[in-house]
Amino acid sequence: MWERNLNGKDLQFHLSGINNENFIMKDEQTGSWWQQVSGRAIQGPLKGSQLKRFSHDDLTFATWKREHPSTRILEPDPSAQEEYAPADWEAETAELPVVTPRGKSEPLEDRDLVAGVSNQDAARAYLVADLARQGPVNDRLGTTPILVLPFEDGKSVRVFERTAGGQVLEFFAGTGEELGRLVDATTGSTWDFRGTALAGPLSGSQMARMDVLLDYWFDWRTYHPDTDVYRAGL
Amino acid sequence: MGRIRSGAEASENTTDSEETKVAGRRRGVLIPCLLFAASLLAVGIPVWLIQPFRHQTPRDLEVSYFLRRWSPVGVSILAGFTLFWVFRLWRGSPGLLRRRTLVLASALSLFTAWFAHQNHFEWKFRPPGKTEFSTPAEASFLKDEDRVLGVEINGEAAAYPIRALAYHHLVHDRVGGVELVATY
Repeated sequence: MWERNLNGKDLQFHLSGINNENFIMKDEQTGSWWQQVSGRAIQGPLKGSQLKRFSHDDLTFATWKREHPSTRILEPDPSAQEEYAPADWEAETAELPVVTPRGKSEPLEDRDLVAGVSNQDAARAYLVADLARQGPVNDRLGTTPILVLPFEDGKSVRVFERTAGGQVLEFFAGTGEELGRLVDATTGSTWDFRGTALAGPLSGSQMARMDVLLDYWFDWRTYHPDTDVYRAGL
Repeated sequence: MGRIRSGAEASENTTDSEETKVAGRRRGVLIPCLLFAASLLAVGIPVWLIQPFRHQTPRDLEVSYFLRRWSPVGVSILAGFTLFWVFRLWRGSPGLLRRRTLVLASALSLFTAWFAHQNHFEWKFRPPGKTEFSTPAEASFLKDEDRVLGVEINGEAAAYPIRALAYHHLVHDRVGGVELVATY
């Protein structure tokens, strides 16, 4: 999700090419080429410019509308609808070939689905399948304490800076009455999947969201060459 | 001796000038063909370099950008030259084979000039026409388990079904007062 306004100018984008299975978009105004995954101009007059990223969620319709009852939803374009990917597109995409050269000792398969998180210190990939089994992960990215939070449907992931009220929090998945919620071991407060404390001493607090990219391993490591991979303690 | 030699020279000269004429005519036809070949390379190279499922290097992207940037102008100019040459050669009443070659060179040059102005990626993945939105209750085109990209800005929430985005690749929108492009 990119802001189209750059230095006071609104840009209109077009699909314009492909770079190792990530598409290139061209802006009508200057003809510069932009990489979709990074929002960075790679060729043309604006080369080196960066579009402002807006955080988005990549989740099921059920979860999204539960959290945002007043959301609007893009309707299918009737003239193109037959061309849309089939319902099982995820399985089909997983079979497509990969063309980026593979390193000698890659920790994951090219089309392993990862949740990628990065900050100024580090970049890390979390295998989505592992997260779905393991539940919330209390981790540290560089010096930042983070919470990697898989959804109950196993398809989506959110990441927060796990600090609130001046303390670093340790989370675990709620059980019994707290099923489907999170509890922090530090204060005993109850939290939901939006990173909001619903009850307890920190009630009303909100953890800061971090961008997370659901991506294939080959694509994530192309744009984050220094990434490491989280090893699940399963 | 001298006369014989000079006669031989004369006859050699005649053959030479006829050969030059024939060679000249061949070159004449060759020029529009070469111009067409150049324009074919200008449009063909980026199509080849930035095709899906091919590994792209930074150099590939640089070359492709350059050719895509300049081929609409460059190939149109080449087509102009081609037509000019064809016109000139046509006035020399060429034979049937040559006429056919000239017609073909003109047609192909015009085709490459037209192609240089096309965005062939949007042939397969067309941008959405008018974007329309539903409320969650109306959105019968989506199942609960279908994935969406959702964004919330300044209290306004919008969701873009991934199957639609994966086809269009780009959807322009304005959410919470911010001009956005959703990409997938």
